[in-house]
Amino acid sequence: MRNLLSIARKEIKIALRERLVVSLGIIILLLLGVALYGGYVSYRQQSRIITEKQEEKRTEWLGQGDKHPHIAAHYGTFVFKPKTILSVFDFGLDTYTGTSIYLEAHYQHEFMFRPAQDYSSMIRFGELSAALVLYVLLPLLIIFLAFSSYTKEKETGTLKLLLSQGASYASITWGKVLAYCILLIVILAPYIAGMFVLSSLSLSSAVVPDVSVRTVLLVLIYSLYIFIFLSLSVWVSLRSATGRNALLTLLACWIFLVILTPKAVANLSESFYTLPSMRAFKEAIQKDIREGIDGETPGSVRRARLEKEYLTRYDVDSLHQLPFNFEGVSMQAGEEYGNMVYDIHWDKLRNIFHRQNNMGSIASIFNPYLAIQHLSMALSATDLYTAIDFEDKVEAYRRELVRKMNNDMAQNSRYGEFYEYKATRELWDEIEDFSYITPSAFEILQHYKLEMISIVGWTTFVILLLHYSNRKSKPIHG
Amino acid sequence: MDKAIKTLIRYEWVSFIRNRFQLLMVGVTFLFGVYAIYYGQTEINAQREVIKEVMELEQSEFGTYLASFKGEPETMQEEQNHDIASKPAFAWYRHGYHAILPPHDYAALAIGQRDLFRYYYRLTGMSLHYQLFENELANPVNLLAGNFDLSFVIVYLFPLLIIAFCYNLYSGEKENGTLPLLYIQSISISRIVIVRLLFYFTLITGLALLMSLIGLFTSGSVLKEENQLPALLWILGVVIYNAFWFSLLFLIVSYRRNSPFNAITAAGCWLFFLIVIPSVLNIVVTTRYPLSSTELAGLTRRTGLENENDEQETKEVILEFLAHKPELAGSDSLIDNNRLAKAYAAYTSLKDIESQHEVDRYNEQVRKRNILANRFHWVNPAVSMQDVFTHIVHTDLNTFLRFQDALGMFHEKITDFYFQKLFWDQRIHREDYSKLPAFHMEKSIDRYTVATGIIFQIALLTILFALAGLVTIKKKSLI
Repeated sequence: MRNLLSIARKEIKIALRERLVVSLGIIILLLLGVALYGGYVSYRQQSRIITEKQEEKRTEWLGQGDKHPHIAAHYGTFVFKPKTILSVFDFGLDTYTGTSIYLEAHYQHEFMFRPAQDYSSMIRFGELSAALVLYVLLPLLIIFLAFSSYTKEKETGTLKLLLSQGASYASITWGKVLAYCILLIVILAPYIAGMFVLSSLSLSSAVVPDVSVRTVLLVLIYSLYIFIFLSLSVWVSLRSATGRNALLTLLACWIFLVILTPKAVANLSESFYTLPSMRAFKEAIQKDIREGIDGETPGSVRRARLEKEYLTRYDVDSLHQLPFNFEGVSMQAGEEYGNMVYDIHWDKLRNIFHRQNNMGSIASIFNPYLAIQHLSMALSATDLYTAIDFEDKVEAYRRELVRKMNNDMAQNSRYGEFYEYKATRELWDEIEDFSYITPSAFEILQHYKLEMISIVGWTTFVILLLHYSNRKSKPIHG
Repeated sequence: MDKAIKTLIRYEWVSFIRNRFQLLMVGVTFLFGVYAIYYGQTEINAQREVIKEVMELEQSEFGTYLASFKGEPETMQEEQNHDIASKPAFAWYRHGYHAILPPHDYAALAIGQRDLFRYYYRLTGMSLHYQLFENELANPVNLLAGNFDLSFVIVYLFPLLIIAFCYNLYSGEKENGTLPLLYIQSISISRIVIVRLLFYFTLITGLALLMSLIGLFTSGSVLKEENQLPALLWILGVVIYNAFWFSLLFLIVSYRRNSPFNAITAAGCWLFFLIVIPSVLNIVVTTRYPLSSTELAGLTRRTGLENENDEQETKEVILEFLAHKPELAGSDSLIDNNRLAKAYAAYTSLKDIESQHEVDRYNEQVRKRNILANRFHWVNPAVSMQDVFTHIVHTDLNTFLRFQDALGMFHEKITDFYFQKLFWDQRIHREDYSKLPAFHMEKSIDRYTVATGIIFQIALLTILFALAGLVTIKKKSLI
């Protein structure tokens, strides 16, 4: 144990003497600061605009004046995707998911406006977020820090001295790992502390209810991720003859894990499971609504059936005799049929997304970078499943809105009349404003089981690897 | 060429083909390149398929309209079809035209923003902005990951290959103990370093050119007129970009430090050019010009007249619209025929005219962002190179902005065509179907000069680094 500590102390001293490494460390720290600051500024800007606009649309809805409920349902309203406080840390998919949606009767609109469309192709080089610094740049610093940890001792002959003084490989290796861990903790401490302060300040964050749980989990998975890279670097150094070889091997691994596979996996998943075009997707929905899902019950037949059903149920001869406006009932029935058709197609589409992403999840077992990227987005509530959850809740809200409009029309207007009836502010007030709360961290993590297995698996793997190599390594001769 | 240099090159070649690790790297890069070309082509072919599909939908739609002119309608469906085909009151918002931005033949080599923007639209005479902002279906996770196309291989991976080959050109000799042997040769060390760099430059650039040629030849005919200049600029760009990285490596090597130092410095440069600078710039652009599309969201609302059964109100709307359209001015005498249809047509057009300002303001902001980002291009050859590639294969942001402008004009053509008939109470005849509005987009004139300009900038930077390297290596050899 004493050996281990003194080796750790010596290692820290040496690392601090390396000017190149120290300056890279400082640069990374600065970048982390810039990233968090930039993330915070854009969070503030965006959430201010979104709140303003959401209020504006709410006022518009409430103040739309007296009109027929069905016109109001067409006039509709808008929902904007809120920025989550943790997006300050990891922007995730925020740049690539649509930000606003128009809710109206009869049509499911898709989310519009992907922020990435407002940039030149430079956006595809990535955006500087704290997460990017931690999972892309920090591993490189670790590599630069640790590649020569063993090879230098070998090249200068100090390894033999150490071993002859009774230090075991185990204590040397773990001493080095410990040293780098301490260094990184010291470097990152202010940021981790900052994140905790941030998360405790925004406990009242309306969108994400469990910020502190998420923060703790983020710190945990990032620690494991960094530990994995650290141990691997030390291991490669232990197994390499020269520093040059160790560095090249590690850099090649980094490029493979961080640059090559993520793109390749995403592209392959796209080739395996192709998405339909928006036009074809919409056309298929419209066709099923027009001709019926079986292709044989067009809208007119469905309406005639409904008419007959109501006439027999209420035992009357004409729709005028019904105690409510049949038009509203029919409209709602049409709406529900449309929803049913839409759900079928939408599920198919979701299924393709799911399969595509599943390839990424499987790949993450082999690539801790993918695992951490997915988990980090998930915990920051900027991942696909949170986006899908948001879409689902918005669609449920739209359906409720349209249903209320149609019911009101059925209850309060007469069959065959349209312009005569106007609903008032009272009805608009009945529609509650849309507010979104993300699922809890644990619910979201259900979708990321493979990623969690990957992180834990890799951690165990590197510990075993080091343990095994420590035992097998023989004092070198010659 | 003098004899010593010939010998040098021969031995360099021998050591290259004997080094299995280096051969493996070259082979792997080549395979990545082939995959990238294949991937790009499948992406673009998929887009071509979609274009074909939507054109077929359009043809079948208009086919139904044309067919309805054939004789008396028998069923209710046929009658309905004929109404939609011949009565402008239905036709103006039912007839859908596709505006298409077909991919350039070489778009497969640099997909750029083409996976992000829509490349086809179905437009009717209805409000333009209601139709303009719908997205194409895409998996955001994959959009974030980006495309593994040839431009990615050249911009990201080739510099790495260059670094791996050249970081130890001098230090390697020192560390292997062969340096003293070189010092006693008749040519100077600096010349040896330069010759070896040039050797690898030829080798690696040759590989890049080979891949580019494969890409260019398989993605489209190089002989087609619209492909000649892009192909030429592509090749020029590849050579200059590789030269840039070699000159940077030359500068690093000329300091004669040890191998790990060189490797770390070179990898650091790569990191700065490809990840740090662009990602920092993106966040600067975001915070400097905050853009929120929420402003435009309101434009997409489907609104209608407040009181469509109020005769006075509908008339006012129509008259307000006619004031904008001199060619329809005299039609106000016919205002009572089809009044509601006319009022709606007038209403949506007025709404479009009004909201165009907001769209223009928004696009102006996007342009400003672009200008700000472009101002920093000269410090970053990697982003510049990507920009060159997307420019020459028409997948850059500007192409899509221009496409949007063209959509606006096309929409105007469509509305003009139908409104002419609607407001003058004319029917649409069979003959009219041969004169339907067609989409047209002006060719951009400056795309290739812009690309050449950027290549020139990279070339200047290359020369600068090479000169700095020369000075350093000469200075150091005096000691």
